[in-house]
Parts: sequence; structure tokens; C-alpha cells
Amino acid sequence: MSLDAPPEPDERQDIAAAPPAARTRVLWPVLAFPGTLWLVLLFLVPLYVVLAIVFGQIDPIFRSPVPVWNPVHWNTVQFQDVFSHIIGSDGFFGPALLRTAVYVLSASALCLVIAYPVAYYTARYAGRRRGLLLTLLIAPFWISYMMRMLAWVNLLQNDGLVNRALGLGGLFNVQVDWLNGRGLVVVLGLVYGYVPYMILPLYAGLDRFQPHVLEAARDLGAGRFDTFRRVTLPLSIPAIVAAVLLTCLPMLGDYFTNDLLSASPSTSMVGNLINNSVLTPGQTGQAGAFVLLVLVVSLVPMIIYVRSARSEGVAS
Amino acid sequence: MPHSPDDPSDRQPESVGSEGEPARRRPVPIDRRSFMRRAALGAIAGPALLDFLAACSSNNVAGPSGGSTPAGFQIASPDNPVTWPIYKDNKPIKSGLKPQAGSTLRLYNYDDYIGPKVVKEFEKKYDVKVTVSTFNDTDEALTKIRSGKVLYDIYFPSYDQIAKMVTAKLIRPLNHSYIPHQSNLWAEFSNPWYDGEWRYTVPYTVYTTGVGWRSDKIPADIGGMANPYDSLWDPTHKGRVAVIDDWHTAMAMVALRAGITDINTQKAKDLTVIKNQMLDLNAKTNPKVTITMYNDLPAGQLWLAQMWSGDIVNAQYYLPKGTKPDVLAYWFPEDGKGEVDNDLMVILSGGQNPVAAHYFLNHMLDTKNALDNFGYIGYQPPQNALDPAKVVADGYVPKNLESAVVRREWFTAGYRLLELPPAADAAWHAIWQQFKAGG
Repeated sequence: MSLDAPPEPDERQDIAAAPPAARTRVLWPVLAFPGTLWLVLLFLVPLYVVLAIVFGQIDPIFRSPVPVWNPVHWNTVQFQDVFSHIIGSDGFFGPALLRTAVYVLSASALCLVIAYPVAYYTARYAGRRRGLLLTLLIAPFWISYMMRMLAWVNLLQNDGLVNRALGLGGLFNVQVDWLNGRGLVVVLGLVYGYVPYMILPLYAGLDRFQPHVLEAARDLGAGRFDTFRRVTLPLSIPAIVAAVLLTCLPMLGDYFTNDLLSASPSTSMVGNLINNSVLTPGQTGQAGAFVLLVLVVSLVPMIIYVRSARSEGVAS
Repeated sequence: MPHSPDDPSDRQPESVGSEGEPARRRPVPIDRRSFMRRAALGAIAGPALLDFLAACSSNNVAGPSGGSTPAGFQIASPDNPVTWPIYKDNKPIKSGLKPQAGSTLRLYNYDDYIGPKVVKEFEKKYDVKVTVSTFNDTDEALTKIRSGKVLYDIYFPSYDQIAKMVTAKLIRPLNHSYIPHQSNLWAEFSNPWYDGEWRYTVPYTVYTTGVGWRSDKIPADIGGMANPYDSLWDPTHKGRVAVIDDWHTAMAMVALRAGITDINTQKAKDLTVIKNQMLDLNAKTNPKVTITMYNDLPAGQLWLAQMWSGDIVNAQYYLPKGTKPDVLAYWFPEDGKGEVDNDLMVILSGGQNPVAAHYFLNHMLDTKNALDNFGYIGYQPPQNALDPAKVVADGYVPKNLESAVVRREWFTAGYRLLELPPAADAAWHAIWQQFKAGG
């Protein structure tokens, strides 16, 4: 939706010739109903359950969460417990949160560096092979994320293919412990896992380019690099932002990439904090507090993006 | 059925089974449930919690978070043996009943923690279909059982949940007339401290928690060190070390290293020592926190790890081709003063097939079946017929892992992981949380 180009002149005429107002008053709510229902049932209701658990009670025997549905009786103990441990002398969650930010931003940047040329090539130069290339780009989605990560575990283990390749097939004895708590491996795992999510929206954005804009730039004397820097890149910024958001958000909640490729506390991310707390007796509310934290952090760029997309739409 | 410990492929026939899947006690810690947990915390919590509220009101356990142990909630320990009451509304089944032919018996267990052969034999003998559902850890399992959505018949916990389960009437008292094979077990299990008169439980396996290592990678004699637990803090092994991903098992080891023999301590001073050592462990050796040592140690990924005795026994089947089991080593204190525990079989009161469940418990306590099962899962049953001195000679355990055999006297000498009162439980979990955050 956000990637929609401004309507063409002939489309505007269609809108002008739309049915009478009385009919659209019924039509639009009907069309919006499934989406709204989906949003309410699968987002708003669960979010309220999370709130009721974060601000709820704990069962005295089982130490499991007891949700409190009435906000008047909400208790902020668990929420405060999490936030008091983020900064300061007892801020042991702080490093994990900072680490999450560093890992997610580095992985997204790497994804972009890899994905942009691929998407650009597919959109502009693939020609008749475009369909095939797109199919190949979507192919990783056919295999579950977990299976792909497990495959990396096999490749990266001490006697795995990566070490053997580095040792030139046995000439040298290479024993790099890739899987024993290395942040770099976790970042590369995230890049590998999420790069298809980056390529597809970038492709969708770049594919909408009007070639005559680029031709105009060249006609007006811009070289290849200048055309890219001054025309292509600025025009593709909405697609880049959308693609970065699409990869950052799932990475923020990811915990199993880290569990499988490191399993060491030294590479824990916020997803691991959530996963560790969610079923720990007495800590489910804290898991909910982390969920809220991630939600708020990811909402900020989302709002900025939506606002900028809207203002662009108005301007055009 | 003895087999040569030198040849991993020569495992007892029932130990590999038609599935070809090697045995292990704990599964890879990622599964569909974990994904769902991540994807929709609220969505899965909702229905379970509604049930929970209903359950709480009927069991009178609902209320605000309390720091002290709730009234009527006892915690069993060797020094404080408990015989659980039998409630009027949760009585044993009548004697003399037969399992209904064609019915289904639902087991709820760790992955690969029961041999397929013994299960099939039961199905054949009683014309009962047996299904096995698995869980990752017992906290998760208990949450699911309490939701009442899944009606399992038999559950395989440790004794650290028994007070909760009896108090909430989640488990059914046993009718002993169905379980004559109980007499095959070590005598201490006829009146265990955690369940006097074995009213609710029968033991499944016994195991110790010690240190396992690759003797070909680490030349030092870890078992011969003054304090072998120190090896896990030795920076020369950095990046090759692991501890068990279970808060109490791992932290109890840390306590023992520091000389705190009360591994269920509630003293703030002890907990501070444990916390500092946990954080020191992160700094010194950057350990993996996992339950897959049985795979990672034989693969050479790990050189040194805190391990369950049953897992080091299993590890021999995961060695790469051409590597002999004598590269594996295990240390547990010779005097038995380490973590010694046992798992249980209990019949859930929500189950639909309590008669077949009683028959199944008896089936598993039959000596031949118990030994067959031992061959598959690597965890030792406390059977009188299984002489720890002959376990090696009989080929269940290779000679170099003799220390992984659980000796009967260790049950008196060893330390047990007990259920903790809520406030202490919260304090222990908070340290574990800090450790796992890597902060």
C-alpha cells in the first residue's frame, strides 16, 4: 500500500466517475470489515492480554501469570522491575538491548548492501529472465527458516564444510569455532535469514521506476554514477525504508537464530530475553514488558515512515 | 542384551529402533511450540489463562503474589519427608479393572525419553493404542497440563513439582494392586521422602549431574583436580564449554563449586556468591547454555560440559565414525556428594484412561522392560536386578564411563534439587535471568 505510485491521470478519471456517495458508504466498510476483524482479533485483543499479564498478578503456588482485566487494578511491579534493570549499576538487561540494536542495524545494513544490487538488476536488467530470477529469489521461502538455520549449524560446526573449505579440503587443519558464542555469526545468520524479505520490497519499488526519468537524467548530462546518486537512489528511498522496516521488525523478535548459532548468553538479544522469561514461573509479565518495549521501539520508525509516505502522497 | 561399547553402531537393537533416531533425554530446544510462543505471546496465553482462572477458583489458589509459602503447601525434602493426603474428591481407581481394548493411552514426556519397543509391546499385550506427546521442559509441561486442554494420562516429571501437582489435584493417587512390579525397585522407593508410601508416584530413572569432557582434546585429568567444577571456569577452555540449560541444575553446580552444599539455599549471602560466580563464568569461558551436550561433545563442538549421567552414556552413539567411545570421560564425586536425582511417572487426574495408565506403570517397572528401556534412553532404572557393578560388564556403559553409573548409596549421600518456596524460587530465577541476559 505504501509503495503505491500516485494515481495516473486516467485512474483519476475513474475515481471521479465512481458510484454515488450512498453506495460507497456501504461498500467501503464492507470491504474493510475482514481486515478490521483480523486486526482486532489478532492484534488488539492479544495486545490487551499482554497488558493484562504485564500489569497482572502472579499465582502464589504455580507462580504463573494471573491476568487482571480491569485496568483500575493494574499493578506495575513487573513492568518497573524490567525497566529498573535496563540502565544503571544493576542494569543487566541494558547490554542485551544495546546488543540487539547493534546486531539488527548491522544485519539490516548488510542485507541492504546485498539486496539492493540484486533487486536493481532484477528490476532493470533481467529482461526475459525476470520471472525465473523472481522465482529463485522466492525459493528460500519454501524451506522453513528453522531448517535453513539448522543447515548452517551443520555447515559451521567444527568438522563442517566451512572449516573444511577454509582448510582447502584438508591441506590445513582449520578449527574455527563458529558456533561457540560469536556475535558476528549471529549477525550473518540474521542477514542470511532475512535477506529475501529485503529483496522483494526493493524489487517492487525499483520495478515501478519510469525509465524515461532515468533517460532524462542521462540526456541532461548526468553520468551513470550521477544518475544513480541523484535520481535512482532518492527515488528508491521509500522502498528502502519499507524494506529495512520489513526486515528489522522480525529481527527484533528473533531468538532462535541466536539459540541455534550461538546459545551463549554473551550474544543474547531481546528476543532471547522474551523467550527465556515467557514460560519461567513468575517472569511471564516481564516477558510482556519486553514485548511492549519492542513494540514501542518499532512503532516510532513505523510512524515516521507512514507520515513521510503520506506527505509524499499529498505532495504528488 | 550386552553390546560392545567399542562399536557405536553395535547398539542394542531396541536402542535404535525402526525410527533410526538415536536416544536422548532432552530435545533440540526449538520446536513448533517455541515458534508459536514467540509469534503470539498473547494469543497463546489468552485461552490458557481463562482456563487457569477457572482452575484457580476451584482449587482456592488464586490471589495476589505472595512472598511466603502459601498455607497447606508443603515442600518435601530428605530431612522433611512428606506423605501426601488423599483427597475425598481425588481417590484412587477401584481394583480389579481391565484396560479397555481399543482405547488410547496418552503419554506426556521428553522427546526420546522412552523406548519405542517397550511401548509397542504394551500396545500389543493390552490392545491399547499409546501416543506420546513431548515437552521441552517441565515448567512448560505443567502450564499445559493445568490448562486442561490436553488430557494426558501419564506424565514424566521430577519430584520438584509434586507439591504443586498434589495440592492442585492434578495427579491421581495410585492403586497399588495394579503395580506389583514396584517390588522390583530399590527398597528406598517404597517409601520415598518426596512421596511417602508411594501414594502418587513411581520412579522412572535415576541420574547424576557431573562434568563430561573429551579426554583427547583436554589432556588434563579433570576428575583428578582438587575441585573438578573449577575446570568450567578455566579460560583455556573458553568457547568450548557448556552448562545445562536448566536454572536449578546449573546453579546448584555453581553452589557446589563454592562449597555451598545446600543446593536449595534461601540465604541471601549464598545467592550472592552463586550470582557472582555465574557472571564470572560468563566472563571466563563464555559457555553455551544448552541441553544438547550429548551431541555437541561427541561432535567435538564442546570439549567440556556440565552433563547428566544419562547424556554422557548416550553421547557414545553420537561420535563420528572412527572415533572410539574412550575419548569420553565423566566425573561425579566418588563419595556421591553431588547432584543426584530421579524422574517419576505419575498418572494425571485429567487423563481419560487411568486403568490402562496403571497397567502401563506396572509394565515399565517390569525388569525386562526397564532394562530394554535403559538400553534405549541411557538413563538407568532403579531396578534391583540391575547391579551397578555389572552395568559395565553387561555392556550398557563403556568402561571409561563407569563413573556415570548411579550407585545406590549415592541416594543417601547426594544432594537433591528440591522444590523451592515461591520467594526463594523468584530469587534463584532472577539470577538465572541475569546470567542468561549476558549482562
